[in-house]
Amino acid sequence: MKAAPDDASTGLPGLRTWPRVYVVVACTLAAWIGLLALLTRAFP
Amino acid sequence: MNALDYAVLVFTMVGIAAYGMWRTRGRRDLSGYLKGAGEARWLAIGLSVMATQASAITFLSTPGQGYESGLGFVQNYFGAPLALIIVAAVFLPIYRRLRVYTAYEYLGHRFDGKTRLLGAGLFLVQRGLGAGITIYAPAIVLSTVMGWRLDATIVCSGLLVIAYTVAGGSDAVTLTQKYQIGVIFAGMLAAFFVLLSRLPAALTFSDTLALAGGYGKLEAVDFSLNVDRRYTIWSGLLGGMFLALSYFGTDQSQVQRYLGAASLRESRLGLMFNAVFKVPMQFFILLLGVLIFVFYRFELPPVYFNQAAWADQAAHGAGGQLRALGSEFAAAHDEERGHLAAWIDARRSGNRAAEAAARAAASAAHAREVSARERTLGIMGAADRRAANDSDYVFITFILKYLPHGLIGLLVTAFFAAALSSKAAELNALGSTTTIDIYRHLVRRDAADRHYVVASRLFTAFWGLVAIGFALFAHLAENLIQAVNILGSIFYGVVLGLFLVAFFLKGIGGTAVFWAAIAAQALVFILYFSLGISYLWYNVIGCAACVALSALLQAARGFPDAGGGAPALA
Repeated sequence: MKAAPDDASTGLPGLRTWPRVYVVVACTLAAWIGLLALLTRAFP
Repeated sequence: MNALDYAVLVFTMVGIAAYGMWRTRGRRDLSGYLKGAGEARWLAIGLSVMATQASAITFLSTPGQGYESGLGFVQNYFGAPLALIIVAAVFLPIYRRLRVYTAYEYLGHRFDGKTRLLGAGLFLVQRGLGAGITIYAPAIVLSTVMGWRLDATIVCSGLLVIAYTVAGGSDAVTLTQKYQIGVIFAGMLAAFFVLLSRLPAALTFSDTLALAGGYGKLEAVDFSLNVDRRYTIWSGLLGGMFLALSYFGTDQSQVQRYLGAASLRESRLGLMFNAVFKVPMQFFILLLGVLIFVFYRFELPPVYFNQAAWADQAAHGAGGQLRALGSEFAAAHDEERGHLAAWIDARRSGNRAAEAAARAAASAAHAREVSARERTLGIMGAADRRAANDSDYVFITFILKYLPHGLIGLLVTAFFAAALSSKAAELNALGSTTTIDIYRHLVRRDAADRHYVVASRLFTAFWGLVAIGFALFAHLAENLIQAVNILGSIFYGVVLGLFLVAFFLKGIGGTAVFWAAIAAQALVFILYFSLGISYLWYNVIGCAACVALSALLQAARGFPDAGGGAPALA
């Protein structure tokens, strides 16, 4: 499957490929879970 | 509500609906009506996907969940970002390449007509029933705050959404959702700031969190491996991912939203927008409920939030018992409030022993409050099953009592906007699926576009009326948001299994996957009525059973249609 040129580029500065975008999104989720776990422990 | 609140409500809701109808007038071709003009950018798609998922139930019922059970429900959404990544990377390019109108058309390309009909049928049953539940939520709010009849409220809100969805199709849904979600965000932020300003002036934000944590309301992440617990990080990540994968990847009400984008890139970015903001948004809504809980440690809450139902019961039979429980509740609350200052002072001065003693005393008094409330819930629930869903009334009760006029109208408008935005997407999807996967596939194959547009309008109106009917006769279990998720979890796993076999297991054909899906759905029904596990696990079980049984059937019987049709992953 070949993406159209418009679709191959993400248009995001610093995140030019889709795999990079997905990794950043997954890391954001991990950061959220970490912060929530921290909140759980900070106010037991 | 006063005249200003009514003005905000009527002007905003009717204005958005009328604007949507005017901007999308004259849609005559099928693609334009079902998928839109294909010009939508990523932000419009992202907001549309968000507005479709976040119904009135999300904004009305979730703060009540936060109030009663704390932040734990946020774990339900941990799997959503992962699912959205998979949809963006795998599902979306195939849908766009095949230029399908519905997700179930792809099953027809890949397998055969009966499997396409099964996928479409499961969607129609599940979403048709769910549509009834989502229309019920705003009706509760409006009937409570305005003193309207519940049935009249359901019918009026249902008819408004039917009108603009039938008239403008997919573009009307996307366009109105953009403005509706703006109203929703404005309303929720306003409620948040008013709530903060209503907390005692001496209470810092850290004190507020300490109190909430002391009552167990900040347990956001539970690492327990116990499958009987409804929300853990594992059920959220795994079960939640399967639920979200099925919902975002195979539910036509979502697929139709992102297929309307100008390009694959715009669709993907719209999905990633949701992947980033879904968890914080749910956290924020739950936090509102937790803050309301802390607020009510200093102000006496009603023993039963649905005051209209309480007054009705108090006037009929159980009045003496209910009033006695109310007095017991108020006395316990008074005692609890008396310990809070000592708790905070001890915490600030670092006196752990005094803090623990004050906290234990407040918790003991609070336990008596909870006991009185639970006995009240028991009496109310015995009289009317729907009356037991009292947590759904927590947020609206706070709004009506403590927000200024104007903002009350804004919040009621926000609930209404949320209800209409998700309802419109559902009706749009139900109408499209019935037209494309049932009517055009089985009844009339070669008619002109205009004929199918008319058919789609009629089917959309039909499903709107069905939803109104279900809402009128709904008897809901637990609270509203859980009822919707439970209903989804029963069907979604099997539908996802169908799509995963289609995408990833080229050697399996339509006959094997068709019978496997039927057997897997039967298995999920049996387990649901015989086990007490968290409902999120049924997504995993239904999906795994469908995939495994498909492989077994294909291997055992060697059905000749394996590998036929179009394409799994290229």
